[in-house]
Amino acid sequence: MVQVEGLTKLYGEFTAVNDLSFSIQPGEVVGLVGPNGAGKTTTLRCLAGIIPPTRGTVRVGGHDIASDAIAAKKQLAFFTDEPRLFDYLTVWQHLNFVARIYQVADYEKTGATLLEELELANKKDALPGELSRGMKQKLAIACGLLHSPRVIYFDEPLTGLDPYGIRRMKDSILKRARDGAAIIISSHLLHLVEEICTRLLILKNGHKIADGTMAEITQKFSEQSGDASLEEIFFRATSEPVAPPVLPTETK
Amino acid sequence: MIAALFYLQHHSARNRLVARFKRLKQPKYLFGAIAGGVYFYFYFFRYLFRGYTGGGQPVAAGIPPDYLPLFESLAALALFVIVVLSWLIPHERAALTFTEAEVSFLFPAPVTRRTLVHFKLIRSQLRILFSALLLTFFSRRFGGNVWIHALGWWLILSTMNLHFLGASFTRTLLLDHGISNRLRRLVVFALVAGLATLVWLWAKATLPTVTSADTADFNSILHYTQQVLNTGPALCLLYPFHLLVRPFFAPDAATLLAALAPALLLFILHYIWVVGSDVAFEEASLEASQKLAVRIAAVRAGNWQAARKNHKARRAWFKLAPKGPAATALLWKNLIGVGQIFSARLWIILIVVIVMVFAGFGGSTRAENISTMAGIIIAILLGYSLLIGPQLLRLDFRHDLPMADILKTFPLRGWQIALGEILAPVTVLAGFQWLLLLVGFGLVLFLPDKHESEMLAIGISAAVLLPVLDFLMLLIPNAAVLLFPSWIPSGKDSPRGIEATGQRLIFAVGQLLVLVLALVPAALAFAAVYFLLKLALGPFMPVPFASLAAAIIVAAEAGFGVMLLGRLFDRFDVTEEPAS
Repeated sequence: MVQVEGLTKLYGEFTAVNDLSFSIQPGEVVGLVGPNGAGKTTTLRCLAGIIPPTRGTVRVGGHDIASDAIAAKKQLAFFTDEPRLFDYLTVWQHLNFVARIYQVADYEKTGATLLEELELANKKDALPGELSRGMKQKLAIACGLLHSPRVIYFDEPLTGLDPYGIRRMKDSILKRARDGAAIIISSHLLHLVEEICTRLLILKNGHKIADGTMAEITQKFSEQSGDASLEEIFFRATSEPVAPPVLPTETK
Repeated sequence: MIAALFYLQHHSARNRLVARFKRLKQPKYLFGAIAGGVYFYFYFFRYLFRGYTGGGQPVAAGIPPDYLPLFESLAALALFVIVVLSWLIPHERAALTFTEAEVSFLFPAPVTRRTLVHFKLIRSQLRILFSALLLTFFSRRFGGNVWIHALGWWLILSTMNLHFLGASFTRTLLLDHGISNRLRRLVVFALVAGLATLVWLWAKATLPTVTSADTADFNSILHYTQQVLNTGPALCLLYPFHLLVRPFFAPDAATLLAALAPALLLFILHYIWVVGSDVAFEEASLEASQKLAVRIAAVRAGNWQAARKNHKARRAWFKLAPKGPAATALLWKNLIGVGQIFSARLWIILIVVIVMVFAGFGGSTRAENISTMAGIIIAILLGYSLLIGPQLLRLDFRHDLPMADILKTFPLRGWQIALGEILAPVTVLAGFQWLLLLVGFGLVLFLPDKHESEMLAIGISAAVLLPVLDFLMLLIPNAAVLLFPSWIPSGKDSPRGIEATGQRLIFAVGQLLVLVLALVPAALAFAAVYFLLKLALGPFMPVPFASLAAAIIVAAEAGFGVMLLGRLFDRFDVTEEPAS
């Protein structure tokens, strides 16, 4: 569903992503992890066609995101960490707008169902400024799912959500995967990645450090024991000799 | 404690200034600063110490002595209105606006409420001093002494600032004592209405009756206003305000000194009122600081629209079907953003009002003069709408650039997004201009020499040409914002400062040059068609045809511009430095 070959992104002299290659099959949930500055967001932006790669190709559903952008973009949805909404459009106007952009003929029925599912039905006429952070996130999700994307990218999907929101978000991601969507989740929350991802892609300084199923990665980085947690694997993979020191609770 | 707060203010201001000087290393700010500096020098600074009037009679604030009492009264009246509004309109509890950092550091700190008020006053002084300086630059252009102006402005602004603060404290105290906003407003309104009635009754009883001849003469109106405001109950009512504005209008140092003492006394009384008020403002301030933080975050993210207060859901201008050209979705979205102010209802109301005015004019002897005057105003408005309109209506890439990453995920080609973005301001501008043309043509009917056919020819030409010219005018700043995203301010508001003004000037000149170049082929087409048809149709009838030819050329250029703009958007890198 997603094929990435030799993806490289340079900013002047700085290499944000270097020769990255991987592919994702329908139903897979891939966790994209790495320390700050690893190139996760840049990678997602290149995969979504927001920024052009300096080198390499990205194919979404068989369509090249550079040369056949329209066909490729019709199949994907990208959820940023901060929901990006138009301040002067109401909840329903957002859906109306997105429906025209993606030419979703039956958007009224789909949109109403999505709003029901996301508990936004009674906020149809509200502006984003009247919504809580979680509700904005839900609206962004409703807009993204309106055209039934086959490829979904999440950048820190749990930021700002309450425990209920987190649970629903996890369920929603897994449901989409079961329905055959290819999903990439970029997150620092390793427990989330461990819980819902079927595959892991670890980046550091723009390079791919590891790519495989959780079991393969665990085996690769857990030395002899084979039962290391993802957190331990993360530190080993990204060459952190020890976990960061815990801050003292009291200073005298 | 106050010393620490001074330290905070001093270093914050100094660091801000240093940061602004440091950014002059970047050419965009350096050139902007040079252009802005030249502009400010020629427009303001050179008049600062040598007066605009060029050594004529010494005048107070540039006002002839005969009119001084009237201007002083008008200024006092303006302040009175502002003060009344400050008691009438606000409904919130007293909230001193602090930044979130100030709330985090100062509220939990061992700082008294009074110290916080002092901190707020110290901080507001920076803003007041800057405002007084700018206002002095402006008012000094019309004459008067620079130091008197500066001191006058400072006194007015500082006292008013204290008054607003004191009023907010008092409103909160009233709320705490169970006096609702509605009751307070009713009392204030009744009081003001009573006083206005008193002034009116007094004027009616003591001053000569105003005749229709008086209202026709501007000097008579001024004289009558002066009599009303400078005598009787109005004088008593406005007396404190007279005291406050009098230093500003002082013609010399001696008069200033005499006027200074009562004004300073007013200032001190206000200060005692504010500092003596023991009102709990922390909770409301916390809420206000959070709102401020949201606005600042939105502004820093380039999302100026989100920084606006009082959002209201707005009705769509038309129903958007899910199928059809995708660019229409952007037009639909941006028209919602334009707001209800340009709703169809408003257009209808305007048209009805205009028709009624015309009906009222019918047969009137004054209709001809008024028609001529209104026609001139309409012509000026049309010119301004073409030149200034594209700068004011920014619901295009200039507004949506912070959302560029979202726009780029849409399955649309660059030109579709570019077209959709530009259509909204073009629609609004063209609608406004067509309405003006209709009004203008209506006015022609009241002229003695109507020349209806000639006027109709010119009107049709303008109606054909203006939308494509609007389109062209809007393409240029939109291209500029994509080419130089860090040079052109995107969003509703704009960065401030001399360098930002300079940047705007540079781009205004650039825009004018590009426009002139773009109009050359259209002008040639106009001339060719006009002179070809002139022999057969006379001097006026060829104008619409020539305009059509010119409009086709401009439309072709605009179409090419949209394609170019689309390519620019496709290539636009969302990681580019945002407008600062």
